Amino acid sequence: MLQEKIKLINKDFSFEIKSIKDAKQLDDLRVKYFSKNGLVPSLFALLKEATSKEKPLLGKILNEFRTDLQNQFDNVNSQLNDIKNTNLNKLDLTLPGVISNIGSKHILTQTLDEIKFIFKGMGFSVHEGPELESDYNNFEALNFAQDHPARDMQDTFFVSDDFVLRTHTSPVQIRLMKKQKPPVRAIMPGRVYRNEAVSSRSYCMFHQVEGLYVDTDVTFAELKGTLASFAKQFYGDDLKFRFRPSFFPFTEPSAEMDITCFICKGDGCKICKQSGWLEILGCGMVDPNVFDNVGYDNEKYTGYAFGMGIERIAMLKFGITDIRVFFENDYRFLKQF
Amino acid sequence: MKISLNWLKEYVDIGNLPVPELISLLTMSGLEVEDYKDQNEIYKDFIVGFVKDKKKHPNADRLSLCTVYNGKEDLQVVCGAPNVDKGQKIIFAPVGSTIPKGNFVLKKAKIRGTESCGMICSEDELGLGDNHDGILVLDSSLVEGTPICDALNLNDVLIEIAITPNRPDALSHIGVARDISALLGKELKIPKVKSSKSISKLAEIEIEDKLNCPRYSAKIVKNVKINESPAWLKNKIKNIGLRPINNIVDVTNFVMHEVGQPLHAFDLNNLSKKKIIVKSTKEISTFKTLDSKDRKLPKDTLMICDGEKPIAIAGVMGGENSEINLETKDILIESAYFNPSSKRKTSKALALNTDASYRFERGTNPNITDFAAIRAAELIAEVSGGKIEEGIIDNYPNKIEPKKLTVRFTRISKLLGFGIDKEKIKNILSALELNIIKEDKDNLIVTVPTFRPDIEREVDIIEEIARINGYENIPTISKISITLDKKTDETTFTELIKSVANSLGFYEMINNPLLSKEKAMVIGDPIIVKNPQNLDMEYLRTSLIQGGLKVVSHNIKFGEKDLQLYEVGNVFNKTKKNIKSFDDFTEKSKLLFIVTGKSTKKEWNVNESGYDFYKLKGFLNSFERKIFLDNVLNDSYNAHESNFYDNYFQKNYKGKKIGEGGKLNKKILEQFDISQDVFLFEYDLEYLKDIAPDKKYYIEPLKFPKIYRDFAFIFDKEIIYNSVIEFISKNSSELSKSVRIFDLFENESLGKNKKSLAFALEYYSKDRTLTEEEVEKDFRSIIAAVTKKFDAQLRGN
Repeated sequence: MLQEKIKLINKDFSFEIKSIKDAKQLDDLRVKYFSKNGLVPSLFALLKEATSKEKPLLGKILNEFRTDLQNQFDNVNSQLNDIKNTNLNKLDLTLPGVISNIGSKHILTQTLDEIKFIFKGMGFSVHEGPELESDYNNFEALNFAQDHPARDMQDTFFVSDDFVLRTHTSPVQIRLMKKQKPPVRAIMPGRVYRNEAVSSRSYCMFHQVEGLYVDTDVTFAELKGTLASFAKQFYGDDLKFRFRPSFFPFTEPSAEMDITCFICKGDGCKICKQSGWLEILGCGMVDPNVFDNVGYDNEKYTGYAFGMGIERIAMLKFGITDIRVFFENDYRFLKQF
Repeated sequence: MKISLNWLKEYVDIGNLPVPELISLLTMSGLEVEDYKDQNEIYKDFIVGFVKDKKKHPNADRLSLCTVYNGKEDLQVVCGAPNVDKGQKIIFAPVGSTIPKGNFVLKKAKIRGTESCGMICSEDELGLGDNHDGILVLDSSLVEGTPICDALNLNDVLIEIAITPNRPDALSHIGVARDISALLGKELKIPKVKSSKSISKLAEIEIEDKLNCPRYSAKIVKNVKINESPAWLKNKIKNIGLRPINNIVDVTNFVMHEVGQPLHAFDLNNLSKKKIIVKSTKEISTFKTLDSKDRKLPKDTLMICDGEKPIAIAGVMGGENSEINLETKDILIESAYFNPSSKRKTSKALALNTDASYRFERGTNPNITDFAAIRAAELIAEVSGGKIEEGIIDNYPNKIEPKKLTVRFTRISKLLGFGIDKEKIKNILSALELNIIKEDKDNLIVTVPTFRPDIEREVDIIEEIARINGYENIPTISKISITLDKKTDETTFTELIKSVANSLGFYEMINNPLLSKEKAMVIGDPIIVKNPQNLDMEYLRTSLIQGGLKVVSHNIKFGEKDLQLYEVGNVFNKTKKNIKSFDDFTEKSKLLFIVTGKSTKKEWNVNESGYDFYKLKGFLNSFERKIFLDNVLNDSYNAHESNFYDNYFQKNYKGKKIGEGGKLNKKILEQFDISQDVFLFEYDLEYLKDIAPDKKYYIEPLKFPKIYRDFAFIFDKEIIYNSVIEFISKNSSELSKSVRIFDLFENESLGKNKKSLAFALEYYSKDRTLTEEEVEKDFRSIIAAVTKKFDAQLRGN
């Protein structure tokens, strides 16, 4: 009789405790089962009616039953308390994070880094040279004769009759070849100066990367292959390129390299002056006179050289239309990259 | 240089080649076309219109309401030009045409409430001239509705070519035609002239300076009538961007642009003794050129003189005293060859660059002077009614012969990386007038025409072959070999520096090293540029500081007041007055850190704080740690010799300064319009690179627990931190410990002129667990020592 009742109550309790969702429901449950007149104490009242023989066993069963229910109750109670506490301590996760300061390299440095990465991968070393150069290294050794109009190609700042602010990174070629025998394969980044009026398109100072490769069997075909690979790695695989004849005193034959304008894809736009092409660098086979000037055998060795302006590349790549912003160092500009 | 396609076609047949293909052909052969205007394309929509009527615009005083007849119908057109009038023939732009100036498509528009169906054009709007004061009024005989291409002969293609300095031969229409003839395999047609062998007796030429004037030819035309040129000549001159002047000058310009030989016409009757003497000046002198300017001539300027006086600066510009004028009857046409480098010196010295000097300094053809003189004489006779004097005067003592050069077939493929068919090579060379005089299976021997001074060596001929054959026909290889020798990268350290700076929150700036004298502020001994672009960029920086402060100032103006910047760059100092060698100056790489404003902005859970002297020091310490120079450099705090800094310190390595900086003085900042505190530090980057180890060895972390103690003392205010910490660090027992200040407190309650410094001590050992007793003993002994040494009072006891 008592045992049947226990079973019945147990069934109800098990069902009800599973559906408890808040403290109120739990308290209702407590009142129903554990209060003075609750269902569990009422079972103990029934115990009085049992025989003295049955009493010890029933008492034991009843006690175990009560402990079991109490445990279940306590578990749920503590779960509810946990939830309650968590809710009380809960963060407003939507508040903004605390900002840490982080800097970055100038966009010109980042552009140069990318160029360096590509050429280093092709086995080029990286060398530097001074910005204040001798007229000899900047011009004469590079086959610019003293009174040749080729000198007009690069308006020059002079600090004395014999010293100039270098107009290109090419004198580093001379320095490198004078101290190293072939093979020489290097790029030479650096700052150069031109005595030109400052405008949105030209500045009196900018940066170049020079390239040089000299060995016994260097050909124009290899120059084309190397620079085509560079352009594709830097600008994208789908570009077209072309090499046009040009003139630099220190290379013969000389060329300029154009790539399809990546803004209009070759259809013609303002950036490419409707031509569909963008000039990205000058190059050529090292002039034999340059080899003479550094003491290389110009029959045995051939070589190529190239040079590109980093500002121009960055302007094209990032859509910058005024070269002066690179050197204003406006924080709002610097922070963008 | 401008080339007219119609003119060009007189020398080479381009067949049906479309204009864009011709343009591309030129560009791809080294005559880079910068721009071209196809008049047939540009002006295709414009027609002759007739202004039937003109009324005032109802709503605008300055506008007229015109009725324009276009040959088919009357249209209402609003016009703003003051000179528009009833009865004029004008250039009419119908709706839908593209206006060259501004490149916009004309739409039917309402102007001040009145509809306008087209536009009456000015010269300027059409790109036909500079006049934008009013509309262009046409000849009244023109018929309404005629396309202006027909009415005004606008059927040319004007091509702007950038000629590289090595190609003086291409500075003429025949020169460009020669390249095209080689590219297309068509014949080059050079105009014929009557040969003129006999010597004219009418004038005499004497060359004193044979080095700088190897040849002087002249031709005389008598009884010319100076007048406007005929339309065909004016049109040609205009199309290549020149201004027609008179029939004589226009012919000399025509011939120069035809064959590349600059000419000059003298009034023969103004030549004293009918004599030309070519000689160089012996001393500095002045000379009035035909533009009425007095030119100061340096010594050794080559002059053309008559029997008495100088009459022209040879190859640069004529003199006012011998200029032809409306009364001129007889002329002497000068056609000479001058030494290129001498011409360049003169034009540089005088800062006078003319079409003639431009060509002479690049190198003209010495063997064409006679041809050009005769060609000009014949044309002048034709257009001025003059009579050509028989014979030519030609002084050419030492004929300049074409060079002979050998080309090896093997060298061509060695340089270019592929072989070119021998017949093709020979055809290219012949077309360029590089005549093959001998040939065997390995070599060609060619003569180089004297109009190609740039071709001096075998490699120059190889370039010609590659150029005409097309660079696009050179293969683009897809594999390269890489040597296995060591690769170097001299920029590695700078890259490391930059990434550390970035991680500390600094942005990189790149500044112009050229500064104004004022901004250069004379730190060190700056190098001055002799020919600056302007006075703002006259001095080379001796420090990165000025550039940095300019950036701070710029940013503050634009509301960016909290800045953390760095720069890596070279600075320059001279060590001798005149720079003649690399020993006379220094060029050093420096690294500048600069902070100003707030380091932390107020946020909902963070308090605001500003950059200060100690934050700067902290940055430097972190920076040094990351380049493995922690605890290597020593700071020193002697005052700076100038009043540049309010708070100055210096970092040294083995007694030598490696950098300096601190808080800048307000007076310095005022010069840059900066009113907030600025903290900066400049390192000598080369020295830093020299001493920075390229690797660091691993230090095993401690395995035994540390024991911590701390204490605070009250000191006299003038006792500096450094003396206390050094004393604690060095004092007493052998136990290892690190010491760190964690509090500084000043208050009247401590007593007058007192301060409290609190230190945390960490005791440790690499090989055992320390006992509380030994640490306590050491700790107590330090307390006693500090108390005694500094007369300090331990707090909290």
